[in-house]
Order: sequence, then C-alpha cells, then structure tokens
Amino acid sequence: MIRQQAAGSGRALALLGRGRSAEACRQGPWARLVNATLPLKIAGGVFLLAISELAVRLFAPAYVSRPTGVFRVLPQTLSNPAVLSGAATTLGAVLEGTVIALISGMAIGLAMGRIKLVDRLLRLYVDGLSAMPMVAIVPLFTIWLGFTSWARLATVVFAAFFPIAINMSSGARSVPQGYLEVARSCGASAWHVLFGVTLPASMPYLLSGMRLALGRALVGAVVAEFYVAIDGLGYFILFQTRTFHHNEAFVAVLLLAGVAVGVDALMNWCIHRYMPWYRTGERTR
Amino acid sequence: MLSSDSRWARWTTVAVSVLSGAALWEFGTRGMSPAVMAPLSATVLRLVEMVRSGELGASAVQSLALFLTGLSLAVLTALPLGLLLARVRVLRVALDDYIALVYAMPMVALIPFILSIFGLDFGAKALVVFLFCFFPVLYNTVEGARSIDPQLIEVARSFRSGERAIWRDVMIPGAFPYAMTGVRQAIGRGLMGMVVAEFFLSASGLGQLLMISARNFDTAGLFGVVLIITLLGAGLMAAGQALENRFTAWRGVGR
Repeated sequence: MIRQQAAGSGRALALLGRGRSAEACRQGPWARLVNATLPLKIAGGVFLLAISELAVRLFAPAYVSRPTGVFRVLPQTLSNPAVLSGAATTLGAVLEGTVIALISGMAIGLAMGRIKLVDRLLRLYVDGLSAMPMVAIVPLFTIWLGFTSWARLATVVFAAFFPIAINMSSGARSVPQGYLEVARSCGASAWHVLFGVTLPASMPYLLSGMRLALGRALVGAVVAEFYVAIDGLGYFILFQTRTFHHNEAFVAVLLLAGVAVGVDALMNWCIHRYMPWYRTGERTR
Repeated sequence: MLSSDSRWARWTTVAVSVLSGAALWEFGTRGMSPAVMAPLSATVLRLVEMVRSGELGASAVQSLALFLTGLSLAVLTALPLGLLLARVRVLRVALDDYIALVYAMPMVALIPFILSIFGLDFGAKALVVFLFCFFPVLYNTVEGARSIDPQLIEVARSFRSGERAIWRDVMIPGAFPYAMTGVRQAIGRGLMGMVVAEFFLSASGLGQLLMISARNFDTAGLFGVVLIITLLGAGLMAAGQALENRFTAWRGVGR
C-alpha cells in the first residue's frame, strides 16, 4: 500500500516534470519559441520543399517532378477523369479485397486463437506466408487468373489476410480467462461467448490488424497494377512517368499517400475513441 | 496456454502440420494440369534441377547482395540521423511529422520515378531497397528518442555529464531498442523492395526467376522459387525478431 502510494507520487512528480521540462524553463525566450511547435513544423515543411525544389532544379532533368510543378498541375490532375476513375478502381479493389480478407481472416484467426489444434496445424503456414514478401506471389496469380483485375483482387486479399488472421488470433487468445468463465457459468452458449465476449474483447487487436492490412493491401494493389498493367492509380503513375509527365504522376502518389495516412489516422482514432484503455497500438506496428 | 505442453508434444504437432501440409500439396493437386498446379514432388525435382544448374544459387546471391546493400546503407544512415533528430529537439519537432508521413506512404509508387530518373542498374535497385528500409529505421529511432525521459538527461546534466557522455549513456541506450524494431520492419520491407526492384527495374535474381517461370508456365519452378523466397523471408524475419528481442530488455529502464 505504502509502496503503491510512493510509486504514485513519483509518477505525479514525473508528470509535473514532463509537462514543461526544467531545461525549457531555464533557457528563456528561445526555448519558448521552440516550444511553440506549429511554426517550427511549418518551417520544417517549407525547408523540405525548398530543398527538393532546389535539388531537382540543379541536378535533375527538366521532366522530373518538383514541388512548384506538382502544385501547378494539382487542380487539373485532380479533376482529370483518368485519375478519378483510377483512384476509384484501385480503392474499390482495396476495399473489396480487405473485406474478403477481413471475413476469412477473422474466421481463421478466431479458430486459431481459441482452438489449440487449429493453431498448431496452421501457425507455421500463416507465420511463414506473412513473413514472405507478398509481392512475390503476383506472378503465380497471373498464371491462375490471367492478366486481369482478378489478379489484383487476389493480391490484395493475400496481402491483407495475414495481418488480420494473426492479430485476430492473438486477440482471441488474450481474452481474460475470467470473462469466459463468468459467461459460461451464467449459461451463455458457445455462440454467445464467441460473439458477445471473445470478439468485443479482441477488438483492439483486430483494429491494429486492420490498419496493417489496409496498408499492405494498398501496396499490393499498386504492385499488381504495375505488374499486370490494368487500370488504376498505380497504372496511371506508371503511364504518366513513362510519358515524362512526372508532375501529374506525383499528384497520384500524393493521393495514394493521403489515403494511406488517412487510413492510419482513422484506425488510430477508432482505437482512441472506442478503446481508450488500449493505447499500445500507437507503438506496435 | 500453449506453453503448458511438453516440448515433445509441440514438436509432434509441428511435424503433423508439416506432413499434412505436404500431403495435401502432393495428393490434393494430382488431377490438375501441370501448367496450373504443381505437386510437391515436381516442385522439389525442379528445385533440385535449378540448384544443380547453379541458376538458383546465383539468383539468390544476386538478390541477397541487393538486399544487404540497401538495408545496410539504410541502417547506417538512418540510425545516426535518427539519433541526431533525437538530441536536437528543434530538428525533431520540425521534421517528425513529415517522417511519419513518408513512413506511412506506399513506397512502391515511387518505383516508376526511380526507373525513369536513375535508370535500371544495380544502383537504382539498391536505391529502391534503401528507400523501403530507410524510413522504418528513422521513424522508430525518432519515436524511441521521444520516449527517453527528459529527466534522465537533466539528471545527467546536473551531474555535469558532457555531450559525449549523454550520448553514450542516455541517448544511444534509450533509442536503440526502438531502432531495432525499425530494423526488423526494415528487413520485411526491404525484402519486398528487393523483389519489386527486380520485377520492375532490370530483371535479376529471384525476382527474374519468378517472372521467367511464370512466363513459361513453369509452375513447378514458380512454386519452388516462391518456396525459397518464403523460407528466406521467414529466416530473415526471425533474425530481425531475435535482434529486436535481444534489445527490448532495455526498454524497461527509465520508465
């Protein structure tokens, strides 16, 4: 009890110290300026843009994209129907594939997490295939499915499946034994235990699996478009760079990056908002 | 849950898992056309053939050289840069959001640019692997540095530590475990970069083998190479995990 209190007050002190570090207080106006982080961040961004602009102007051929060039073509590229339809097909494939992977991955992951035999039989394959660089599977999909959009969908499913299955299984395994025992002793059916207890309790794991899965799915879709040469945002980038329209292509890259960052932020927000007790997801990637 | 079993039981189930997987692959694919599906025995025979002809060995060496060049360059530059950002608060605050942004961005989208600007020789491919590996290491090192308790540095200061001593005793030990998480991620991404670079820049190594066997409908060869890449990936990822685990013991300090 006493030790707990001591630890508590120690933490309070640490928090006080962290709120405004002594170093910052000592250093006066300069430190206070530095502590106002937003101008600094903006300055950092401007600096990076200026550096890349300068480097491209000095050292690279004229067709290479540079910040001012990208900025100039931004409106017309974003209203270009080829970009819009490409983005729609790529994101559509990513969503469709991720939903398929989510359903199958949850089923396999739950089985692996709750049934020891299933885990023993599948663990080796799931871990092995998730460690493999997933793009290596694309040539196989082109044999099976041809050079079609099915190959892209299959790549997306393959990319998204493993993080979901693995995170689902560790989530299902981490459900406190007490919850399950209470539910069973109150006469809950196996179905009810699964959907009423196990699944909600492993939600945070599933969400961080989803975040990984969506990131990988996006990469998988772009690689498949490069390899198979089917319409989409990835193919738009490939085509524009080949015809030396780097600025237009870079707008598409920014679009992809925006989607990736947006998905990341959305998942983080979900974890923060709905599962505030689970914060480790910010660090484990 | 799983740890309650004896070692013997664990190995038995692993053996059963491997054997049933192999049996499924061998006998489940029997009636299918060899262009679509190759049974295990055909795959193994084809692999032996590829090893004998030296094709597989040469490709694997080529790929690994590419991978290791990119990875080591990335680690050698991202680690010092990350530590610098960690120590110099102004730089870190100014740049860390942009690092996180690029870290989250799908790097494959840059490959057409690299192809068109830098050509398709070994250097351009190493650049691809480098770009895939650089940001995970940088991001995690900066992230680790952010987790260093400022009090530690203040205490070191008040004991009159010099800049060098602060680096040696606080900064590097504090950020290193996180940097190792970055290295593990970089291994995974770098493998992907390796295959992608070999696909889309000049074809070489294991990526070229994959493409050639796919183009010739040599499904047995394709399965063989995919198997080798999977084993390579699993081995390298396990090495990265071991590296990370070796250093995560430090993380508890200073919290």
